[in-house]
Amino acid sequence: MQRESSAGYITRAPRSSGLADVLEILLDRGLVIDAYVRVSLVGIELLTIDLRVVIASVDTYLRFAEAVNRLDLRQVDDSKSVPDLFQSGTEEVASSKTKGAVEGGMDAIREKIGLGGRGGDDDEDEEDEGRSRSRSRGRGNDR
Amino acid sequence: MSRLYLYGITRPRDLPQRLQDEGISLVPAAGRAAVVSELSEGPVETTRRNLLAHADVVEQLHEDAVVLPARFGYVLESRDEVLELLALPEIESLLERHEKTCELTLRGTYDESVLAEVGAGLQSLREAYRAAPSVDMGIALGEAVGEGLAERRARDAAAVLDRLNPIALDVVVSEPNGELAAFNFALLVERDRVEPVEARVEELAAGLSPPLHFKLVGPLPPYSFVRLAMPAVA
Repeated sequence: MQRESSAGYITRAPRSSGLADVLEILLDRGLVIDAYVRVSLVGIELLTIDLRVVIASVDTYLRFAEAVNRLDLRQVDDSKSVPDLFQSGTEEVASSKTKGAVEGGMDAIREKIGLGGRGGDDDEDEEDEGRSRSRSRGRGNDR
Repeated sequence: MSRLYLYGITRPRDLPQRLQDEGISLVPAAGRAAVVSELSEGPVETTRRNLLAHADVVEQLHEDAVVLPARFGYVLESRDEVLELLALPEIESLLERHEKTCELTLRGTYDESVLAEVGAGLQSLREAYRAAPSVDMGIALGEAVGEGLAERRARDAAAVLDRLNPIALDVVVSEPNGELAAFNFALLVERDRVEPVEARVEELAAGLSPPLHFKLVGPLPPYSFVRLAMPAVA
């Protein structure tokens, strides 16, 4: 159901396509009829807590710091920015030390798209985030 | 008397065979109809499967005509209760309002590369962290990155909203969910105006990606635009 635009920066889906979409839409939106009480729902707490990400946490800060440092180091090591790396073609990428991570990331992305995005399990949001991270390495310049 | 699970409210019509086979039926009354299925005793389980099934029913029906999607979990105790609900004048006005509308949700998420962009202005903190990668230095750097990201997010979200506001009938802005999330908008648009909105989003994406990635979902039933202000019936 999902597809990426040709430029790779828009994901387009005609319908709600995963637990994340559906959770937000069906639990926080939708017709609320005050006159009627929703009967006992089981399991909401667990599902919603999983989705809430606490932004201002020490853990987040440390990850941000690590990420900035890593992206920084990669630029120093390669004397090239990530986009340069991708514009200069695959041979160079292949010989670069970052190959494993880059290629692995792109493979994972292709696989996801190939699967059509209609995910099979509740880990989907983590996967989505993983995809965002991988994408930063790919930058989409090769599409 | 059987309990009925409520998916949403629509106009009377024939249901697709697929939905009939799944036990979905309509309770019609005076030009309005509730989309329901029979439910046995016990609570409604908020499982992935049930949530997706609810979305599937309302989204499938919305393809052909107006549907006011119910929030997940409404159970009516009898047909009479359904008829009572359908008789509310607010329901009729919502159906009229949404006769030709649909919702598009647009979410923006940053690539991790945004952190490098934000971090570019934080050279001394970066160098200090690299020289001595302690927890304290990490928090100092990470906090600065977080602030930069918040500014970036506010700027990008405002820019996107400015461009979409004029072509949407209504917009609901929600908190973006996730560390690298940028924004989360629900747009109400005319069904036959989906393409211009898509084109506008493509245009925005071309200017802001990378590091911003857009996810556009729809046309959906107007999930975010069916709030009822109604006194509770005792």
